[in-house]
Amino acid sequence: MAEKRITIRATRYDPEKDRAPRMQSYDIPFTDDAMVVLDALNYIKSHVDGSLSYRWSCRMGICGSCGMTVNGTPKLSCSAFLRDYWPRSVTVTPLNNFPIVRDLVVDMEDFMEKLKSIKPWIIRKEELPLGAGEHRQTMDQIDDFRQFSQCINCMLCYSACPVYGLDDKFLGPAAIALARRYNLDSRDQGTKERLPMIAHPDGIWECSFVGECSVVCPKGVDPAKAIQQTKLDTTMRFVLPYGNRE
Amino acid sequence: MSIEVEAAPPTATRTYRPAMGRGWWTRKSHYFWYMVREFTALPLALWLLWLLFEIQRAGRGASGYYPPSSTPFVIFSVICLLFALYHSFTFLSLAGVILHFKVLDKPVASRLIVLSQFGGWLVASIVIGAVLIGFGR
Repeated sequence: MAEKRITIRATRYDPEKDRAPRMQSYDIPFTDDAMVVLDALNYIKSHVDGSLSYRWSCRMGICGSCGMTVNGTPKLSCSAFLRDYWPRSVTVTPLNNFPIVRDLVVDMEDFMEKLKSIKPWIIRKEELPLGAGEHRQTMDQIDDFRQFSQCINCMLCYSACPVYGLDDKFLGPAAIALARRYNLDSRDQGTKERLPMIAHPDGIWECSFVGECSVVCPKGVDPAKAIQQTKLDTTMRFVLPYGNRE
Repeated sequence: MSIEVEAAPPTATRTYRPAMGRGWWTRKSHYFWYMVREFTALPLALWLLWLLFEIQRAGRGASGYYPPSSTPFVIFSVICLLFALYHSFTFLSLAGVILHFKVLDKPVASRLIVLSQFGGWLVASIVIGAVLIGFGR
């Protein structure tokens, strides 16, 4: 019986040689139904073309490094099974909306700056001494923000967001979801410090609720929900007389 | 023995920034329906402008009120009605995502919020319909 094979089409871009990205096809053995797109890329790198560049690390959907566009949809390549595409070919391109550094590697600088700008850590008005004990939380209080803390910074949501694609000044889904995660945390008192970034015209108000960010999220986070709820909360803070109370 | 290594100056990497084509919204059905949702506001706004104009004319008395009844206008109005229904449907469906509050320290389920929105829509439609029919008699 003939060996099962699959065609992988991958973006190639060498900044020192190419003016624009091009596609290259690789015909590789598809030996195991458990093979994912990342396995295919690793096979190509090991056996066919060692110059292919891409990011990856954990291979188990935890680190968020291997985000790519697979047949037009942003996915973690370690979670995209070849069996879902075979016998069709699989086209792997870099994440949309980001500058391409080389092949499937994109420039994450803008995303990292945005993530940092919303101060994704617990802010206290006054730090208590260690002797005062831990900050206690009930399970209900944890449930308020648990969903938004599952983000692995894979940037798939930015890749799926046409608003970010059209205007990269937009703060973006993951950063706003993370800001909401901390604003909802009962231990945090930093909402006012994050407001200038969140309520900025390039923040929540730039989002027109396409909703694709939530569709592509591999961890079930709902950034669209975080953004819309933050819009409502921010408006309430402005409208209600007690809105700015902390 | 120590080896001195001189750090190389950082070099700027030339990146390629792909442009987002005008047809981006045709790539996925989700994007397409988002555009339809956003577009529905345009004919609705035109229809409402016309309504304001009619109200202003009606202010001069019954003689000034003669709404257009041509077939193209009726077709345009029906299309606007369909757009209005679709826009309302999407808007009210999203209420479950946006609204979040607790009753007796328990979060209210999204489905319940959406159902209450549609219930309110139905009641408001019946009340407005009854008022309009009542005045029309």
